[in-house]
Amino acid sequence: MSSEENNKKTSGLTRREFIKDAGIVVGGASVASMALLSACKGDTKTVTQTVSTTVNKTVTKTVTVAEDGVELTDLHVILNGEPRVCHIEANWTLRDALKEGMGVISLKDMCNGCGACGSCSAIVNGRPILTCMALAVECDGAEIETAEHLGVINHPLVNAYAKNFCAQCGYCTPGFLITAKALLDKKPNPTDEDIIDALGGNICRCGTYPQHIIAIKEAAKGGK
Amino acid sequence: MKTLEIFEHINAKSFEDAVAALQKGNAEVVAGGTDLIGTRRFNVLPSNPATLINLKTIPNADYIKEEGGFLKIGALAKLEDIAENDIVKKKYAALAEAAHKTASPHLREMGTIGGNICQLNRCWFFRKDDNYYDCLRKGNTKTCFALTSDNRYHSIFGMEKMCAAVNPSDTAPALVALDASIVTTKRTIKAEEFWAVAIPGSTVLDSDEIVKEIQIPTPASGSKSAFKKLAIRESIDFPIVNCAVLITSSGARICMNAVHNKPRRATDAEALISGKTITEELATQAGEKAVEKAVAMSNNKWKIAATAGIVKETILAAANA
Repeated sequence: MSSEENNKKTSGLTRREFIKDAGIVVGGASVASMALLSACKGDTKTVTQTVSTTVNKTVTKTVTVAEDGVELTDLHVILNGEPRVCHIEANWTLRDALKEGMGVISLKDMCNGCGACGSCSAIVNGRPILTCMALAVECDGAEIETAEHLGVINHPLVNAYAKNFCAQCGYCTPGFLITAKALLDKKPNPTDEDIIDALGGNICRCGTYPQHIIAIKEAAKGGK
Repeated sequence: MKTLEIFEHINAKSFEDAVAALQKGNAEVVAGGTDLIGTRRFNVLPSNPATLINLKTIPNADYIKEEGGFLKIGALAKLEDIAENDIVKKKYAALAEAAHKTASPHLREMGTIGGNICQLNRCWFFRKDDNYYDCLRKGNTKTCFALTSDNRYHSIFGMEKMCAAVNPSDTAPALVALDASIVTTKRTIKAEEFWAVAIPGSTVLDSDEIVKEIQIPTPASGSKSAFKKLAIRESIDFPIVNCAVLITSSGARICMNAVHNKPRRATDAEALISGKTITEELATQAGEKAVEKAVAMSNNKWKIAATAGIVKETILAAANA
């Protein structure tokens, strides 16, 4: 019996198979959330209500009300270049909407919503912000860029980060990446001080901080 | 992550809109939301108003411009924009530095100057999750938990209305030092008189009053200003103590914050350095003068020495700017 077969027999699953399966789950996250959304739709009814949006002006709009009476509204955003829409409630943060409603898994939560760790960062209308501190209803029509997009556009930061070991456990890395992207958009050739300053709100418990400076400077030179 | 309480959300189209919505009662305004969202998420207060009025949808309220001898900053101007503005950096250095030292880069991209000066006070008893300490700033008991417990970061200039919490704003001392005025929907208030011990608020604003604009008189040519902050983590933290100094040819204005319920001017220290050439010795004396009337609580005697040091450093930084 080979060692791999032996390992399989004892654990029931090889590491290779586990990673493959996990990949399928991750890949299917957005599909699953869409299915969840359509499943939830069965419990909602669309009613026309008169809602006062501003104090003096009263307009009639269609709102969707869930079975428990919670009013749902639609959030329209341009997410990573594509128009997207999902149902939100008035108390949802942008992180809730993007993660639960649109399947964006790069928005992490390290500080339990204190706004202290930067791991839920996204670029909203050109500004790197914390999505756990922004209300979804206030972001209607926003242009949002998340760490997923850097892979799509093949941004030099991705390779520079991989090459320079910027991730250890990797949980904080999407937050660092998108903040670094916002810095490079603003300052294409940042100094060490600029980088330290811009990443000041991102926490890495593994302590990869020095590597980010190397990687971002490398990415600024086009990945060389 | 905890979800927020369910509420009604209104996008205001003008300050008049927002005031009218506030007058209906059971409502509060939100600008950047970086203080308010956390306060609501962790149920810091016994109850929260049901309606949130979003001010960010008010058009043209985030300007930074010089006009008629004043620097005028719209209440919704983001802290990062103030910190990066060339005019502010050149002529109002203390404010630019204060805005730059506030919180983390992400929070500066969200937080507004109007919100920064109106944020609730900082005290770990007041801010404890789920309204754990029902203190006197919440209007229910007569107890200040800091008085008999760990008060290492609390007030060193005594308690006001029996509260020992401190005002954590970084921009506040800069505004006081630069002699700013705060324009609200009702009146114009001098920056020095803007803060107060309210329940649970930290300003003199009425329940239906909103900050619209901040006006700072352009300092005379040759004036220099600086801001310094002591915090545990430099990149993201509230101040243990901070200080802003404006030195003009004839006088000086020094304001400290995070040492009392309100930003506190050090008028004795100002008199000491007015019109004199600043030396290290004079700055040290001024720092000691600034904390002459300080009274330590049981755990924060160290903070008096720290304050004297920060005042000294800020005076030297302003003189050498």
